[in-house]
Amino acid sequence: MSKILLQVEDLCTSFFTRAGEFKAVDGISFYVHEGETFGLVGESACGKTVTGLSILRLLPEPAGRIVGGKIILDGTNLMELSKKEMRAYRGKMISMILQDPMTSLNPVYTVGNQIGESVRLHQGLRDDKVEDEVISALRLLRIPAPEMRIRDYPFQMSGGMRQRVVGSIAMSCRPRLLIADEPTTALDATIQAQYIALFKDIQKQTDVAIIFITHDFGVVANICQRVAVMYAGKIVETAATSTIFKAPKHPYTSALIHSVPRLDRKDDRLYSIEGQPPSLLDLPPGCRFAPRCPDVQEICHKQQPPIVEISDGHSVSCWKVK
Amino acid sequence: MTDVILEARDLKKYYPVTKGLLQRTIGWVRAVDGISFTIERGKTLSLVGESGAGKTTVAKAVLLLEKLTSGSILFEGKDIYRFSKSQLKMEYRPRVQSVQQNPWSSMNPRMRVRDIIAEPLVVNTKRTKEEIRSRVLEILDQVGLAPNQVDYYPHEFSGGQRQRIAVARALALNPDLIVLDEPVSALDVSIRAQIMNLLKDLQDQYNLSYLVIAHNLATVRFMSHTVAIMYLGEIVEFGEAEELFTRPLHPYTRALISASMLTLPEDEDKGVEKIILSGEMPSPLNPPPGCRFHTRCVEATDKCSKDVPEVREIGQQRVKCHLYADPSVRSAVSKGPDAGPAGK
Repeated sequence: MSKILLQVEDLCTSFFTRAGEFKAVDGISFYVHEGETFGLVGESACGKTVTGLSILRLLPEPAGRIVGGKIILDGTNLMELSKKEMRAYRGKMISMILQDPMTSLNPVYTVGNQIGESVRLHQGLRDDKVEDEVISALRLLRIPAPEMRIRDYPFQMSGGMRQRVVGSIAMSCRPRLLIADEPTTALDATIQAQYIALFKDIQKQTDVAIIFITHDFGVVANICQRVAVMYAGKIVETAATSTIFKAPKHPYTSALIHSVPRLDRKDDRLYSIEGQPPSLLDLPPGCRFAPRCPDVQEICHKQQPPIVEISDGHSVSCWKVK
Repeated sequence: MTDVILEARDLKKYYPVTKGLLQRTIGWVRAVDGISFTIERGKTLSLVGESGAGKTTVAKAVLLLEKLTSGSILFEGKDIYRFSKSQLKMEYRPRVQSVQQNPWSSMNPRMRVRDIIAEPLVVNTKRTKEEIRSRVLEILDQVGLAPNQVDYYPHEFSGGQRQRIAVARALALNPDLIVLDEPVSALDVSIRAQIMNLLKDLQDQYNLSYLVIAHNLATVRFMSHTVAIMYLGEIVEFGEAEELFTRPLHPYTRALISASMLTLPEDEDKGVEKIILSGEMPSPLNPPPGCRFHTRCVEATDKCSKDVPEVREIGQQRVKCHLYADPSVRSAVSKGPDAGPAGK
């Protein structure tokens, strides 16, 4: 097994508002190997995006703050870095792709300019060298005729192409860790398949590790080696992708998998989880899934379940599992 | 004898592209270019396709929100374009309702749930306030909301609950047909199942017909009885849902299914490969000659770039592709799922 690149230990991120403290991420731990794709799956407001932003230390301050834990990237604790040092890490070591390519690019600059910005900032190259780097970044994402395309504005491109430009910006300095936040959600099915295949290739070429944030189990199955399932700020289960699909242990994981309609068979009725996720302001004292859980026991309402490693690389946080 | 509630015949919608001060028309965007389908009573037809395929334009045409360039829509055998205004108001609009994609924007934030659901009743019927009040409570119960929530505003609900309100509003007039434009795509995964089950229950209970617009194939398979796959303003394949998903004929349908199919890492090691289409959907301003899909098709031949394929029937399925031009291929395909070009 390859080396561990990123280790997140007991990360807690909160947002402080007038209504009180929102514990968006509440004590999560995971690791990512070099060259691996690790999935963070969950529904809206489960804390997956906040986890990504915490690793980059790009939380909207002062409301959002990391209140505890460690983020160790290649031996360095990112929490101990100064703002200036952290800035040098972004782009070069870690970068991020956001969900919506319509809003993550600046409409008034050419794409060449926007990719060039990160190259210039992080690699300190002279202008004449920048263009070569930009073209090679576009070529890495297989954008046809990159020499022409660098002079295009975002509106001249389709959604799929724009998302490739966003990918080029993220990959332009050859980072070692890429955080991809729902990069394919805004794309059409066939374009989504292209994009995922492309990223698998890029990973083979550059050995970049990817944290893939998504709500779509289909995408997870397709690209991730290991997955963590999040619910209301906590990781409830971590395992290899095929284990998650074949033998999910947490009731939330299995409910989520069973509530997605299947393309390869006809279902008459879908399994549905009643109710909704709890409010982050008013979390239940015990297991956060207890109010919706079909296998709930008394202890679930009182105490939070510990995280138990039931087999190599498969850990679950549920009272049912011992 | 099948009971057809709505029939669309050769629908076309071209939008003009204008230029300059005088708004000269310099071309046409062929959003919908000659599509026909039927919806049976109590059944669901889904229109599937990627953005720009023309599915929403079709839905708008059915809801009379968009005037067609040509073609006709028959509702219970009568051409709705020949209806007078009062006929439309009496016989068509109340019986065809819709649920929009995004429950965050499809409701007026300043109206209470009570008024949102009552609005179609107030506009279209002559019921008394008391009758409307009891009807609202009745529908609210059917979509699984509590009677005490009737005085809440939309912002007090979660996405799934809002979509229930939207369904309630569509149901208020006891319609025959509901147009569902991406009814679950804006919702969270665990909530989607709740809404899809609700829609199916309501269909069984009231013998409702649905026209579903969707891009997620798994959702479509769960919801539909018949499916039309659209590409660039045309229907490339049409058939019974089960047949179409177990025996997709058109290369585009196969690529779509392959792209949406769940494949685990170990399946890939076993050699299950996804069909990955190259390129993107061309612009409807300049659709490619011949078969519109030939620029991305993995099985395209010279013929595909020259001749427009005819629609051919294979069993219950209709497919618009040159692969099935040869009658022997057609009979081979209809005999077994693994025969013919599909079994390569």
